[in-house]
Amino acid sequence: MNLLTLQFLSQILLLSIVFLLIMKKNFSAVSAYSLQSLVVVIILLNSFFETKDMWMLLVILVMLIVKVILAPVFFIRLIRKYALAFSVSTYLSTPITLIIITILVFIAHSQKLIPLTRIVPDHQVLLSLALSSLFLSLFLIVNRKGALSQIIGILSFENSIVVFAVFANLEQSAALQLGIVFDIFIWIMIASVFISMLYKHFGTLNVSSMKNLKD
Amino acid sequence: MLEIITSSISFFTLLSFFGVGAVGSLLVHKNNKNANAWSSFFAIVGSFWGVFFSIIMILRKKSLLFDLKTSIFSLFNISFHIDLLSSFFIFVISLLALFCSIYGIGYIRHYYKKYDIGVLGFFYNLFIGSLFLVVTSSNALFFLIFWEIMSIASYFLVVYDSNDESNVKAGLLYLVMTYIGTSFIILSFLLLYKYIGSFDFLVIKDSIALVPAVIKNIVFISAFIGFGLKAGIIPLHIWLPAAHPAAPSHVSALMSGVMIKTGIYMMIRLFLDILQPIPLWWGLVVLVVGSISALLGVLYALTEHDIKRLLAYHSIENIGIILLGLGSALTFYSLNLSALALLGLVAALFHTINHAIFKALLFLSAGSVINETHTRNMEEYGGLIKYMPQTALFFLVGSIAISALPPFNGFFSEWLTYQALFQGIAQMHFWTQWIFILAAGSLAFTGGLALACFVKAFGATFLARPRSKEVTHAKESALSMRLGMGSLAVLALLFGVFSGYIISLLKTIGQGLSVFKDSASAVDVSSAQIINVSNGFSVISGFGIFTLLVVITFLVIFIFKKIINNKQKECISNTWDCGTDLSPRAEITATGFSRSIVQIFSGLLKPTIQHHIEYYDDENRYLPKSRTVTLNIGNMYHTYFYQPLHLVINKLSTRARDIQNGNIDLYISYIFIALMLALLVIL
Repeated sequence: MNLLTLQFLSQILLLSIVFLLIMKKNFSAVSAYSLQSLVVVIILLNSFFETKDMWMLLVILVMLIVKVILAPVFFIRLIRKYALAFSVSTYLSTPITLIIITILVFIAHSQKLIPLTRIVPDHQVLLSLALSSLFLSLFLIVNRKGALSQIIGILSFENSIVVFAVFANLEQSAALQLGIVFDIFIWIMIASVFISMLYKHFGTLNVSSMKNLKD
Repeated sequence: MLEIITSSISFFTLLSFFGVGAVGSLLVHKNNKNANAWSSFFAIVGSFWGVFFSIIMILRKKSLLFDLKTSIFSLFNISFHIDLLSSFFIFVISLLALFCSIYGIGYIRHYYKKYDIGVLGFFYNLFIGSLFLVVTSSNALFFLIFWEIMSIASYFLVVYDSNDESNVKAGLLYLVMTYIGTSFIILSFLLLYKYIGSFDFLVIKDSIALVPAVIKNIVFISAFIGFGLKAGIIPLHIWLPAAHPAAPSHVSALMSGVMIKTGIYMMIRLFLDILQPIPLWWGLVVLVVGSISALLGVLYALTEHDIKRLLAYHSIENIGIILLGLGSALTFYSLNLSALALLGLVAALFHTINHAIFKALLFLSAGSVINETHTRNMEEYGGLIKYMPQTALFFLVGSIAISALPPFNGFFSEWLTYQALFQGIAQMHFWTQWIFILAAGSLAFTGGLALACFVKAFGATFLARPRSKEVTHAKESALSMRLGMGSLAVLALLFGVFSGYIISLLKTIGQGLSVFKDSASAVDVSSAQIINVSNGFSVISGFGIFTLLVVITFLVIFIFKKIINNKQKECISNTWDCGTDLSPRAEITATGFSRSIVQIFSGLLKPTIQHHIEYYDDENRYLPKSRTVTLNIGNMYHTYFYQPLHLVINKLSTRARDIQNGNIDLYISYIFIALMLALLVIL
């Protein structure tokens, strides 16, 4: 796969997160997450073709099953079960959200972060895009009030880290990656259970209603 | 034989007594008598061994340095260094622990069936053991561990009488203040570690030149706050008048007599031994703080009517006096006047041991009184001399000693402190001279006020008529308690009479420090035990004063008996009572006695008076039913130091609480902001 294709895939990843930041419907959010996970799988597949490591293929297969198929299925079942068609609101309005997205993308591409984005000089544009995705995922977690959006934000953050690691040639052993995917699978299950419990207790997935728990 | 006694094995034998005493007390805790016997026995034997060990170490001028290979990393090896200074503090600790433990055998009985005696025995032995470890540790890391063990053991002893809620509160205050102090101590050790790369005191001492002057100054300030807090210097003393009275009396005696001296020990060790050379202002700061602590300590003691709080305030005063000696030593040494510096150090060490003896004696006597009257309020005592004559005698000895009257020990150490200050006045110029003048003035004032305070304490407690029913039921203390008090009373006299010999030993201990090695001393003791300061500047003899007093006493008795009263007929009649029945209401109270002095110092003490009258008929208000007068003393430290500090901390805490508002998004945004900042700053 040439650089332009990889750049295109990275842009899809970034745009999916921008979409997650401004969308209103939960089904759309899950679809966007599924799409970005597929992009990550394709990027990893490219890595497999370069290394021909069969363990890597196994990781990619597991990732495909967990992130692209199972996780969205879990989320869709949750949405249907609790009739959560619309996501709860954001802290910031859409125009301000867009301004912050611009600032974060600018920072990720700025001269200041060159030591990070030039770890592999040929991949500077790719790494800048991955870094932008990382920042936007964090912003997604902060800005959304809904627990489901936050979980998707955390998963997007993880996807961004994987992509950054691949472009920076910081891939770990296949066994470790397999372990991470397994962790994520377990985490998705636990998060789903928690979402159910939270909904039953509070009647909403708005995390700001949970702040009284500290007392 | 002497080699074995002064070996590391002997030191560990000493520690093992307290270890066995602590653990064994817990094992036999179900039986009060057995637990008391077990803990007291091992504490007594251990303390006796400690006295023996330290005396031989001092007389043989022996120094011990050894470490336990507890780790493959040299940083974590427990090391001990017992030089003459450590041996001196081992002696002070052992001496007091010995008599307090003897006293404890009888005193602890009143806790039977109320509290677990095994737990008391455990923490008591652990406390004494930790005191030994603190003054012998040669590694800052393990010193802190031992320091913590000492603090925690003493905390549990303070809250031992947990049925009284005020004791629990006092314990909490003590714990909080202790940890504030410890954090300052940790800061000073970490700063030294940063520049030297070792926690070993000997290595730090050898490499102290690597530490920049600014850092040394920070180390001094934080160590002075940390150790000063434990010593009870003003204004860091607030835990002391609360915690010392709360503990069982034999523990109060140890806390006041020995524990606070560990702060003094570390000040000597750090400022005089390890951090040399030091700037002039260090010594002057110590002098100023000592003067303030001595004067304010005794002033607040005067206003107290709680006998144990009164004694606790006197501990602050005496720590101030010790600091006057130490401050003089530091000042002189920074000016290369090592002979005078040694004089200051000897004065500080002499007052350290003297204060330990008479303060322990006073706390033990007070404990005996409280044991019988079940109150600490002096206004409810009176006339106890009839019911507890021996305790009264012991308290009187302690009072004379603490008031620095000859021939008891307190007089000689204060006299030596005066000499150090007078030498400062003679040698210094300009403002440093004024600091010495003010310090000497403060010491003179303190001496006078301490005397007034103990006239009040002894008079209100033992003289006149009983002011409560409990007094009339009081009985003389148990034999072991009298033995403990009596021994300390004898020691208070002996340390005065043989002050010349003690001073020459203390001089040897001072010369054991490397800064005074081969140094001449401004204090000399002749073979006739005459103490001579600066070649005849001032001369005194403990034995001479004692002999003179004995001769004068016999002479006065002889003159009265044989010459004035010789042919007069003795007739016994009633005291003239102004035509009214004599009752306790006619007596001057402790509050009344100190009222005139409180008025003189009203600018400092801020006394307040409140009158409350209850009438038979509230509307007409002609016939009063009862009148109440409430006298209070303002607390300057609370008003001007702790309250503003509390307000600032409270405001900051409220602000900090806003940061933690329970919103998970906000928490994640903190992480996000921290990440962005870290990236922008680092890259």
